Amino acid sequence: MKIKNGKDFWAGAMFIAFGVGFMIIARQYTMGTSVRMGPSYFPTVLGGLLTVLGAVVFFRAFVSKVHHSINVFPFRWTLAVAGLVLTIVMYASAGWWAGLGKAAVLIQYGLGALALFSLIAAFGPKPLFVILTAVVLFGYLLKPLGLVIATAVLIVMSAWGGHEFKLREAVISFVVLAIFSVATFIYGLGLPINIWPDLG
Amino acid sequence: MEQLISNLALGFGVALSIQNLFYCLAGVLLGTLIGVLPGIGPVATIAMLLPVTFTLSPISALIMLAGIYYGAQYGGSTTAILVNLPGESSSVVTCLDGYQMARQGRAGAALGMAAIGSFIAGTFSTGVIALFAPPLAEVALKFGPAEYTSLMVLGLIAATVLAHGSLIKAIAMVLLGLLLGLVGTDVNSGVARFNFGISELSDGIGFVGVAMGVFGFAEIIINLESTGKEGDREVFVKKVSNLMPTLQDFKDCSGAIVRGTLLGSALGILPGGGALLASFAAYTLEKKVSWNKANFGKGAIQGVAAPESANNAGAQTSFIPLLTLGIPSNPVMALMIGAMMIQGIAPGPQVMTERPELFWGMIASMWVGNLMLVVLNLPMIGMWIKLLTVPYRILYPAILLFCCVGVYSISNSPFDVMLTALFGIVGYVFVKLECEPAPLILGFILGPLMEENLRRAMLLSRGNPMTFVERPISAVMLAVAAFLLVITVLPAVRKTREEAFVED
Repeated sequence: MKIKNGKDFWAGAMFIAFGVGFMIIARQYTMGTSVRMGPSYFPTVLGGLLTVLGAVVFFRAFVSKVHHSINVFPFRWTLAVAGLVLTIVMYASAGWWAGLGKAAVLIQYGLGALALFSLIAAFGPKPLFVILTAVVLFGYLLKPLGLVIATAVLIVMSAWGGHEFKLREAVISFVVLAIFSVATFIYGLGLPINIWPDLG
Repeated sequence: MEQLISNLALGFGVALSIQNLFYCLAGVLLGTLIGVLPGIGPVATIAMLLPVTFTLSPISALIMLAGIYYGAQYGGSTTAILVNLPGESSSVVTCLDGYQMARQGRAGAALGMAAIGSFIAGTFSTGVIALFAPPLAEVALKFGPAEYTSLMVLGLIAATVLAHGSLIKAIAMVLLGLLLGLVGTDVNSGVARFNFGISELSDGIGFVGVAMGVFGFAEIIINLESTGKEGDREVFVKKVSNLMPTLQDFKDCSGAIVRGTLLGSALGILPGGGALLASFAAYTLEKKVSWNKANFGKGAIQGVAAPESANNAGAQTSFIPLLTLGIPSNPVMALMIGAMMIQGIAPGPQVMTERPELFWGMIASMWVGNLMLVVLNLPMIGMWIKLLTVPYRILYPAILLFCCVGVYSISNSPFDVMLTALFGIVGYVFVKLECEPAPLILGFILGPLMEENLRRAMLLSRGNPMTFVERPISAVMLAVAAFLLVITVLPAVRKTREEAFVED
């Protein structure tokens, strides 16, 4: 058997994984009867249907007339394995870290984030992981560091994620956008966000 | 008839208040802006603004968001004609003849005709909504849970039939959307489902995050991945003069505008329909019936007038299922449901009777908005064109920033931002695997509703699933859904469907 349509192959695998996953998790809830459906009833039915359709798409990949390479997106085995190993290590050592005190927790979070990052970076092009990392950083920096610094991180980093990066341009658009967003979001709309780092 | 006039009077009373005029203007201008800019569409914009609308009154919020959708249809044609890039997916076909007209030095006539056609279509379809929505809502009020369940099945099936690409994948995406919609606390039993012990997930996955991740972020990443072709754009900026088409143009286009408007209005009402489908269908129809068919693709003005009228008509009539049944027909309407829910309004037929000012105000505002678009936009085209010279590498960080602030402010927590990033990855994978995300979004919105109605229907029928075929309205809807599925699988239809979507 040769895989002819790589896109169908992966799509089918994805649907099967979701369908089976939802059905397995749904097992811990009550099924109920068709008269009084429990919380597990509808998800189990949907998950079953999804698995069946996923299987059809999956097997169609072997007989499809449309040809696509199996390498649908760039995949980096080293990063995937490293991320996976780090995740397992971090998961297993969670108790050990907790015993080391407050500063260690920060390191633990950092390593956890690194594991997640390499898993994301394992598949997908540079814009994918650089931009999404910038987005997540923005989310977590907004409260402690304020809108201006978080904006700087987001704008400069995401501009760097594209293919034509010019630092001068990125800095100028940061200044313009920072002024604009402080004026609109904080003064205009009154969103409860700090402008500068919260030192208090 | 008298009822209709008094209703419309009520509507215009609401729509013409200073505040609502302002938000209508803001909406249509923003819509035109994102319509002109390729790479950002109404879905991402509305998702971005949802948290902001929280601070507005319900009617102002809905007027503004609706304005973004139909405003984008006006803006999209500008880019299509002048740059040969679809500013909006629904103006893909406008590129074919519009750009050729621009090369022949007739960009002004093409732009003018697109705007005038859109305005005529907008006026007509506003009338269609005012006429057809009330009787439809009256029927819908008699619907029981069985009818609602079948209606949702029909809506979702229709959405998959009209999506491009593989039918099986589209149905699988609907199922996945329904499942994702079920994450969170089950209303009947109070059990928190599929939340992996994360307390933020017990209210369900945030709709804005899903929509913005799958449509907004994923699109930016895809745009950046396919390395830039910004260099070879030829913008016909200086050649735009004399926006008024000639009398001959009007004569040539009157048939195309009428056909485009009628077809667009009809296709907009269908579940799964909307601006995109309308413009494709109108262009294909016009190419078949027009006396000028030999010139199509070489700068026929009918090839601009018909799809541009149709996409505006379709954009507006797609509000009908939303306003009367509470069922979204495309992702933009799914977001409108989100907006109504944020404001504490349950979408459905009762909106018309309980909140008439909301319903009729919105309809009236559509006509007002169309008028603003045609009056204000034509003189402003020069300004919109200037925006096109801003390179994408400067635009997308700004888009990201607005998205992030919007998502963050939903619950003031970084969790939603992270979730959105996660759905950005998911959306990227979907695009790579040729899985259309639109059916997923519809399923996501309808998941909890469908489960609730299914439960009630089964409880009422004491567990007898025959209730869905024994009740006549429900049976008809299921039959239509089955019919749609069957004809899509038929070889002949399948072939034309593939061809229709290959055209771009």
